[in-house]
Amino acid sequence: MPLRVQRDVKEIEAVLHEILSTASPPVARCRLLSSGFSAGHALDITEDLAGVKACLGCGNCIDICPVLVREPRRRERTEQRTSMALENLVDEDCDRCYACVLVCPQVDTTIKHYIVNRRMIEVMSRIQERIGDEGEPDLDLFLEEALS
Amino acid sequence: MDFTIPEELKMVQTLVRDFVKEQLLPLEREVLGRESDLAGAMQRLTPETEEKLVKMVKDMGLWGVGIPEELGGVGLGTLGTCLVEEELAKTIIPFNFGDVTPILFDCNEEQKEHYLLPVIEGQKHPYLALIEPGKGIDPAAMELRAERVNSGYLLNGRKLSFSKVGTGDFAIVFAVTDPEGGIRDGVTCLLVDRDTPGFTVVGGEERTGWQAQVAEPVSLIFDNCRVPAEKVLGEEGKALYLGKKWLLSRRVVRGARVVGAAVRLLDVSTEHAKSWQSFGQAISTWPSVQAALADMAIDIHAARLMVYHAAWKADEGEDIHQEAAMVKVFADEMLYRVADRAVQIRGGPAPAGELPLERLCRNIVARSAGQNALEVQRAIITEDVLKLRG
Repeated sequence: MPLRVQRDVKEIEAVLHEILSTASPPVARCRLLSSGFSAGHALDITEDLAGVKACLGCGNCIDICPVLVREPRRRERTEQRTSMALENLVDEDCDRCYACVLVCPQVDTTIKHYIVNRRMIEVMSRIQERIGDEGEPDLDLFLEEALS
Repeated sequence: MDFTIPEELKMVQTLVRDFVKEQLLPLEREVLGRESDLAGAMQRLTPETEEKLVKMVKDMGLWGVGIPEELGGVGLGTLGTCLVEEELAKTIIPFNFGDVTPILFDCNEEQKEHYLLPVIEGQKHPYLALIEPGKGIDPAAMELRAERVNSGYLLNGRKLSFSKVGTGDFAIVFAVTDPEGGIRDGVTCLLVDRDTPGFTVVGGEERTGWQAQVAEPVSLIFDNCRVPAEKVLGEEGKALYLGKKWLLSRRVVRGARVVGAAVRLLDVSTEHAKSWQSFGQAISTWPSVQAALADMAIDIHAARLMVYHAAWKADEGEDIHQEAAMVKVFADEMLYRVADRAVQIRGGPAPAGELPLERLCRNIVARSAGQNALEVQRAIITEDVLKLRG
């Protein structure tokens, strides 16, 4: 059985860069840039699915998204577990951690490698910035000091 | 797991307990006023009384309990300080064992001689000038500016201070030096002597009678006040990092004060429940009153354990961010519950004969002014919970 021929990131680097730089869950667009099912994917259906890039609805991206972990009430808006649902639920509040891309079974490994090798340091620094420096001043401590 | 308080700290606790019982509690009537109209009530002790008490504490070797030994204090550590503060909070008498804001602990050698050591000795008193009228302490909204001029700064603006009225010898002023710098780099702390031209202190007069229950802040006005560069405390722009090593444990110490106040409320309530008769028997025999007393005791016990645990961790050099936040949220909310039950057991507004209860309840409401950020503490706790469970 031949291995699936995956997208060479060099061919799509410009558009991938743009996708990864946008504050919106990137998984669906990364999936569409991927090569879809291979002939080796054994599904109990008669259709030829080779090359189909549709979302499987596995829900991995929904489960891994830190925005939805922090704000679980967002999930109440839909029971769908597709990448489209993720985009609707998170929209521009995306942390750009790329976890959704990394867990998607339909995204090419080449794209995942690109993210890990080229984008992860930036991701770490962005998340650190969001959490705040652990040594950042606690204004409330000063307020208590002033009032006590 | 050993919950035993070290022997030497137990001795200190006993000493302070006796001091409160023998020296401070008898002064309550004097501070609260002798008449039913509270004509003689005071906000503070008289200078003579205070001087006498300070001398006694110094003779006991307990002056400066919360101040590190290397800075001339007793260096009891956080747990020891908590034990002392818990005892002191059992009375409404405004007196402490040499409490100095840790913001000053970052003084350089020259500033130590001129400011910190005299403050520790009780010879000088600072105004902590942090809050602005209607602005709080948000650096983004802070209006007091320190503009860089030749070899110094020019201060313009106004601050509020809740420090003791009339005794301030200098002000610890937080001013914006770089509006773009925010909380990390934009605020500078300056030590401004009371006699510096352009610096005036107004308001906050000591009141008597009913008005003595209201602590009014003083206004510190800076009008083209020129301050030399050597008066910067710490680094320029880094004011909100001052005292970092000690400020968090102060939150736990404040929790201990809350526990002490709650213990006094329970004592007052128990005494009243045992002595007040209704339908021919003491109200302490009523199941509802008993349940209220039990709930108060449970609350106090839980808060005390949280305080001691956080204090112990702080003394072990461990991170207490989460524990300190939990102490603040739980202890402050606990005090409201205990005060509410105390008033319910009392069964009405506290008359002149029960003034400690009345003043304790007023103090609790006054404390709540600083508790507007309990949600911030909850956010600190949640951050850790999500990290651990997420």
